[in-house]
Amino acid sequence: MLTKFMAGIQGAFGPSILKSSVCNRNELYIDVEPERAPMICTYLCSELGYPLVSMFACDERELTNRFFVYYVFADRKNTKLVIIRVAVDPAKMEIRSLSGKVYAAARYEREIKDLFGIVPVGHHNPKRLVFHSNWPKGAYPLRKDYEISHRPDVARETIKFQKVRGEGVYEIPVGPVHAGIIEPGHFRFSVAGEPIINLEAQLYYTHKGIEKLCEGKSIEQCLYIAERISGDETFANSLAYCQAVEKIGDIRIPGRAQYTRVVFAELERLICHLGDLGGICLDTGYGFANGQFRMLRGWAYNIADELCGMRFLRSVNRIGGVRKDFIAGKEAVVIQLLKKLHTELTDTVGIIKSNSMFMDRVENTGILKTKTAGDLNAVGPGGRASGIGHDVRKDFPYEAYGELKLKIPVYYYGDVNCRMNVKIDECFQSLEMIISALESMPEGKITGQVGLLEPYRFSFGMTEAPRGENIHFVMTGENNTLLRYKIRTPSFCNWPALCVAVKGNIVPDFPLINKSFNLSYAGNDL
Amino acid sequence: MLDKTKKILKYKILTQDYPKVQPDMSLWAGNPMINSSKCNGCGECVGRCPSGAIIWNKDSEAPYIDFDRCIFCLLCHEVCQAGAVDLIKEFQMARKEKRNFKYEAVGAGADDTEASLDALGMELQSKIKKLYGRSLMVREVDAGSCNGCDCEINAVTNPFNEIERFGISFVASPRHADMLLVTGICTRNMQEALLKTYQATPDPKLVVAVGSCACSGGIFRDTYASGNGIDGIVPVDVYIRGCPPRPQTIIYGILKALDR
Repeated sequence: MLTKFMAGIQGAFGPSILKSSVCNRNELYIDVEPERAPMICTYLCSELGYPLVSMFACDERELTNRFFVYYVFADRKNTKLVIIRVAVDPAKMEIRSLSGKVYAAARYEREIKDLFGIVPVGHHNPKRLVFHSNWPKGAYPLRKDYEISHRPDVARETIKFQKVRGEGVYEIPVGPVHAGIIEPGHFRFSVAGEPIINLEAQLYYTHKGIEKLCEGKSIEQCLYIAERISGDETFANSLAYCQAVEKIGDIRIPGRAQYTRVVFAELERLICHLGDLGGICLDTGYGFANGQFRMLRGWAYNIADELCGMRFLRSVNRIGGVRKDFIAGKEAVVIQLLKKLHTELTDTVGIIKSNSMFMDRVENTGILKTKTAGDLNAVGPGGRASGIGHDVRKDFPYEAYGELKLKIPVYYYGDVNCRMNVKIDECFQSLEMIISALESMPEGKITGQVGLLEPYRFSFGMTEAPRGENIHFVMTGENNTLLRYKIRTPSFCNWPALCVAVKGNIVPDFPLINKSFNLSYAGNDL
Repeated sequence: MLDKTKKILKYKILTQDYPKVQPDMSLWAGNPMINSSKCNGCGECVGRCPSGAIIWNKDSEAPYIDFDRCIFCLLCHEVCQAGAVDLIKEFQMARKEKRNFKYEAVGAGADDTEASLDALGMELQSKIKKLYGRSLMVREVDAGSCNGCDCEINAVTNPFNEIERFGISFVASPRHADMLLVTGICTRNMQEALLKTYQATPDPKLVVAVGSCACSGGIFRDTYASGNGIDGIVPVDVYIRGCPPRPQTIIYGILKALDR
C-alpha cells in the first residue's frame, strides 16, 4: 500500500523527491527539495485531504550538519503517516511558509521560529508564540548548542495584539491569573457592546521547556516527565511516549498489558469528561448538576484508587507494558462501582437535559463550523461535535482497541450542546468499554522484554487522549537516551479553534465555551 | 424538579469528617521511605530517581529522600533490591518553615516587594492566626504546573472534602485574599504575574506552595524557562509535598498554616 502510494507521489513530483523510506510499518518518510516542499504539502493536504497533524524541527547538525523540518500528515482512512522532511541550511535558517495554504501550519511555524530560529518566509503573522516580551532576541533554546540551564537576562521586547478599530470597540484583557482555579493564560477580547469581535489568546505562561529537558535524559526518566505533561491526561501522554519507544525497540506488549492499558485510558477519559460536564453546568450557574457530576467524578477517582492507588494514574505505565498486574482480583469490585456510576450518570443526564433554562444556554452557543474545524485540524470532542468524525482509537488502533467494540459519537452542529453530547456519549462508552475489557482480559504476563534501544531511530506514538488526538515523536540518541522528543497534544490544535468559536458570542458565554472545549494550557505550552 | 429533590434526599452528606475522623487511606499507594537499616548502599535508587530527589548522605553512608523534590513515582520502591524502601501511608506531608528568601524575580516592582516583606515580619505571624482563626479567603495561582495540583485543589471543594466547612473559601481576586495557594515551578513567563498577585494581596498574608514543582521545581528543575520553585519569587510559609498532593494533604497543609 505504501509503495503504491509512493509510486503515485514519485510520478507527480519525481524530480523534487530526494529519497524515501518506510519505518515502523506505517510511517512513510519523504525527503524533498526545500523549494518544492510547500507544493507537495499543499497537494497532500488539499488534494488528498490528509490533515497536517504535527510539524517540528530537529537539530541534526551533529549527524548531518543540517537542521530538519518534519511535516507530518495523517491518512486517517488508511492508517498511515506521511512525513515530508526538509533540510535547512544552518547558514540560511529559512523555510518557505505554508501558512495561507495549509492553515494548521501557521502556529507550528511560529513555534519553530521561536525555539529554533528557523524563519518561515512569507508567513502572514510571524509573531512570537512561545516567548513573551521578557525573552531576548537571538536565543533559541532547542538548538543543541544552547545550554539547558542558561537563563538569559530579561529583555523588554514589545508584543502587539491584534487591534480592532471602529466606533464603540474596546478591549477586555483577562488573565493570566484567572478568577477560577484554572491554569494561566491571557485573553484579549475586542468587543462592541456584548458580542465578541475578536479573541486573541496569549498562552505559553506555563512553558517549562519540557522538550529540551528530555534531550539527553534516559528513556526511563523521560517516561516520568511524559506523565507530567498535562495533569489530567497523564495516562494518554505516557502511553503515547511508551508506544513510540516500543515501536523503536520492537517490543511486543503482552495481551494482558494491552487490555490493562485500555482500562486505564478509558478510566482517565471518564474522569476527565465528568469534570468537564460538571464545569459546563457550573458555568451556567447550575449548582445541583455540578454537585452531581463532582460526586460522580469522585467515584471515578475511587475506582482509580482501587486499581492502582494513584488518583492521577501516574506510575502505571512502563516501557513494555504496565508496572504490575493492577487488575487481578479486583474485577468484581470495579464492575460493581462502574455499574453504580452508570445508573447515576443516566439519571443526572436525564435531569440536565430536561432543564430548559440550562439547554437554552448551551444550544447555539460557541458554534465551530465543520469547514473551520477541518482547516484547523480540530481534534477530539471539539472536532467530533463539528462533524470531524475521527478518533485515533479507530483510525490508528493501538493496544486492545482493535478487538473491542467502539462507536465514535459524531454531532454536526458544533455548539456547546454538541460538545457536551459527545462527552456524555463517550462517558457511557468508556464505562462499557472498561467493563468489556475487564471481562475479556486474557491471562498472562504484563511486561514485554525490553533491551537497549538502537541510537538515531525515530517513531511516532499516537493515542486518543480525553481531549483528542495526541502525537509524540521520539528520536533516540546514544546510550539509551533521547535526542529529540516532540510532543503535540490535542490542546495545541484546538486553541485556535476555540478562538474562532467564540466570535459573535457574548462575553459572559466565553467561560462556558471555554469549558466545553476544556483545553489544557500545560499541554499546549509544554 | 421531583427528580432533583429525590437525588438530594438520596445522598445525604458525602463529606468526610476530617480531621475529627482520619480519612481511609488504605487504597492509596503511599509515600516512599528509606529504611536505612535494610539499605545495602548499592546506590541504584540514587542514579535512577527521575527528579534527583534521592541524595547520598556521606556521613551515614545511606541515601535519603528530599521530599521537596520527590515526585512520588515509587520507582525507588520498585528498583531497590534490598527492599529498603517502604511505602508509608502518611498523608500529612507539609513542612512549615520560613526559608531564606532569595529574590531573583524579573519584572517591575522589585522595591515594593522588599518593603512589603519587611511588613510581613515575625510579629505579624501571631496576628495572622488571630485574624484568620475562623475564616480564610484563598486565592489560587497557577505559576506553571501541569494542572495536576490545580485539579486536586479543585477537589478540596468537592462534596467529599468540602473545605468551606472550615470557613475557608476560594475567592476570585487576590485583593480579597488572605492566603495565596501557589502551584507550579514559577516559569519565566509567570514570574511577573505571580509577583504582582503577591503585591495585590493585602498584608498580612500567607503563602502556601502546593506540590513538588512549587516546593523545589520537582522534575522540571533547571531548565531555561523554569524557576525552581516559587520561593525564589515570594516568601513561603508552608510547603505541601506531593505530585500532586492528595486533597487531604492540601487541607492538612492549609490548616497547618493556620495552626489549626
